[in-house]
Amino acid sequence: MSSEQDHLRDADTEARFEFKKEEKSAFKAEKGDLDEETIRVISEDKDEPEWMLERRLRALKQFHAMPMPTDWPGQPDLSEVDIAEIVPYIRPDIDVRGGVDDWNDLPDEIKDTFDKLGIPEAEKNALSGVGAQYESEIVYQNMQERWQEKGVIFCDMDKAVREYPDLVEEYFMTKAVPPSDNKFAALHGAIWSGGSFVYVPEDVTVEMPMQAYFRMNSEGMGQFEHTLIVAEENSEVHYIEGCSAPKYSEFNLHSGCVEVFVKDGAHVQYSTVQNWSKNTYNLNTKRAIAEKDATMEWVSGSMGSKATMLYPCTILKGPGATDTHITIAFAGEGQNIDTGAKVYHNAPNTKSTIESKSISKDGGRTNYRGLVHVADGAENSSTNVECDALMFDNESTSDTMPYMEIEESKVDVAHEATVGKIGDEDIFYLQSRGLDDDDAKQMIVAGFIEPITEELPIEYAVELNRLIELEMEGSLG
Amino acid sequence: MSTQVHANLTDEQVQQISDELDEPEWLLETRLEALEALSDLEMPEVIRTPGRDWTNLYNLDFEGFVDPLNAAENKDQVGPEEVSILSMADALAKHEELVREYFGSVIDPQENYLTALQTALFSTGTVIHVPEGVAAEDVTIRTEMNSRSLFNYTLVITEESSSITILERQETGDDVKGERYYSGLVEIVAGENSSVQYGSLQNLSEETYHYSLKRGNADTYGTIDWIEGNIGSRLTKSSVETNLDGDGSETRIVGAFFGHEDQHFDIASRVWHNAEHTTADLITRGVLDDVARSVYEGVQNVGAGAWSTNSYQRENTLMLSDESEADASPKLIINNHDTEASHAATVGQVDQQDLFYMTSRGVDNRRAKNMLVEGFFVPVLSEIAVTEFRDDVEALIRDRLTGPVPVTPLPDEGEQGTA
Repeated sequence: MSSEQDHLRDADTEARFEFKKEEKSAFKAEKGDLDEETIRVISEDKDEPEWMLERRLRALKQFHAMPMPTDWPGQPDLSEVDIAEIVPYIRPDIDVRGGVDDWNDLPDEIKDTFDKLGIPEAEKNALSGVGAQYESEIVYQNMQERWQEKGVIFCDMDKAVREYPDLVEEYFMTKAVPPSDNKFAALHGAIWSGGSFVYVPEDVTVEMPMQAYFRMNSEGMGQFEHTLIVAEENSEVHYIEGCSAPKYSEFNLHSGCVEVFVKDGAHVQYSTVQNWSKNTYNLNTKRAIAEKDATMEWVSGSMGSKATMLYPCTILKGPGATDTHITIAFAGEGQNIDTGAKVYHNAPNTKSTIESKSISKDGGRTNYRGLVHVADGAENSSTNVECDALMFDNESTSDTMPYMEIEESKVDVAHEATVGKIGDEDIFYLQSRGLDDDDAKQMIVAGFIEPITEELPIEYAVELNRLIELEMEGSLG
Repeated sequence: MSTQVHANLTDEQVQQISDELDEPEWLLETRLEALEALSDLEMPEVIRTPGRDWTNLYNLDFEGFVDPLNAAENKDQVGPEEVSILSMADALAKHEELVREYFGSVIDPQENYLTALQTALFSTGTVIHVPEGVAAEDVTIRTEMNSRSLFNYTLVITEESSSITILERQETGDDVKGERYYSGLVEIVAGENSSVQYGSLQNLSEETYHYSLKRGNADTYGTIDWIEGNIGSRLTKSSVETNLDGDGSETRIVGAFFGHEDQHFDIASRVWHNAEHTTADLITRGVLDDVARSVYEGVQNVGAGAWSTNSYQRENTLMLSDESEADASPKLIINNHDTEASHAATVGQVDQQDLFYMTSRGVDNRRAKNMLVEGFFVPVLSEIAVTEFRDDVEALIRDRLTGPVPVTPLPDEGEQGTA
């Protein structure tokens, strides 16, 4: 391992996430029954155009009209999630809206937060641009000049509404995720705030990943950031999102929305390392539309949260489009990670590959819930789904619930899943080579998730491994 | 939920069915309670995904299909002497205590709307009791439905260390105009170290709606092996299930279906591992032609107490036509980490290279395709130990491939059915 990563390795990872800052805000929407008034106040505070306010109000109506999802087989218990108990919007106390471009311009406690999370350090070493969100708004936003010169846009979503209204009005919750998609998408449409807007012009390849980091600091708040990525023809970009929050006794809610448009021949990789605190409900909607010969890759590591319901979706709309899902879920004590993948093959010669790994221990529950739909006419399409689950103990649960809907005969559809425990023989072998029990188990887990870590830049691979080590230490020690 | 008033179903009708079979009071009570419960019960569960119901049972007017007092059938119930094989009425006359103990013990009569409908209205049934230590083969039950609707009930009880092979066939006889309905419930109580092999081959007419729920409880070291063949019917909703309740118990569920025209098969294989050292093997293969549609659900549920479990599931669907649709959902629910479990499912078409190879050897296209389809079923057929039954399944598959053939009439000497 190179010395550049040592700072990550040596740091006390737990301390890096588990610290709280005193709540300081310039504007805070009070909790209570979510009504039009709240939405108008938020929209006004953001100085939004009329069309956005109208979209918010329409989404609010849909949110109130839709029932809570309760009838999915084996789904996480959401009965605690009462929107009236959530602080929907907190604007941190900063002078510059839309994010400063120098970390030193941030108030000390915010700068310190991101320093501890290692974001400025990572920016220097490995990233083409960084956006950092604190509570409901982006506080830092910067991109290297050479990408700006090529016409790449990477800015906070609120700013995009004002500065690129044509693009945003066209794509924002219209084509990929309409607010009517599900109750939490509707909630998001009403009170979204922050997030990133990425636009990559035709034929531009952004060689280094961009990163956005989302941090919730306040107790009982909800974070609703919106990410919109438009990759024009034959462009390429890798976007990484990281998220964390300190743990509180009250629940927090994260209900983000991600929309990705991958135009002809373009390539987008969307990577997530999710480490929300274990009082957070993580109910996201992520969807990509891939045009002709485009490639969409979702790489997700779900470590945190109390309950996650997240099924990143790709609609393979153009012939020859390709989707890859690589997901890893790790559920420890009290966690219910219900995650998976959705792919719609709507055109001929489309291809999808889903690889899911899950680990459950100390009474945690993981569930792979996935849907592959091959529409009539999507001939010569192929899909391959592989799910592997590892269980540590008898209090834990591991479920696999795939759904396949095949309307086309000229296809190749395969699904495979295995569940097992860590092999005693493997542990014995490693012990006989001088490793102790804990190290042996960690090594087996690291090997189990390697297909995921090798898809991430080294910094994030190290981070992911470190997070998993931390999870394992908790009970093994 | 169906909220229709039971326009044509009354207590009097149920009373009459029960009287004709000279039933004891407790069974009549059970029937009347089931009838009463109908309006509160849900249809059997079907899979729903965003915007789609894989099978929509609520669109069907089951009570409209039913002609409760005019059940007619032709039935054969034959088997070796050492086993007691009785019609429901005879069983109630001779072994009422046994029937009373086990009737409804595996499948709750009020589990769903269709089980309750069946409980209220069933007019024919078979009770098979295998005494301790008896090893018997070749019990055959043939049911030919000659009325608009028929409700058929089967109860199998095997005592300690006994074994039995039961082969059941359902067909439709006399032409009845319009839609028909066949409903069958099978309960198996497999005692310690006993072994049950239950084969079922359904070849009902294609105007017939078909509901079937087969469930067995396996005691310690017990084995329940199912074979489920579905060829006929307009719509089939079938579930074959085993509770592995005893340590060391085992089950195997082998399924085959072949849908054509606008047939709809909703087929499930489900197993619950409730004890230690239990083993399950689920294998289903199906072929779809024309605009036929299949829905498959497989469930392997490993309970927290099911240490040292092995559980496997495979499902493969072959699509012969572009207009057909195959939906599948193989599920693993694992609550014990000392488990080796896997499942695999595939959907595809006839392998073009195989087809090319065969046509290049001079086999014409149609024959080559038919041979490949027959070959596709081989891994399932080879799991069927009873030669005669395997031959029957093979024959039906071949008939389906080569075109319509007249329904084989039942032999005249067959015992006339009750009611």
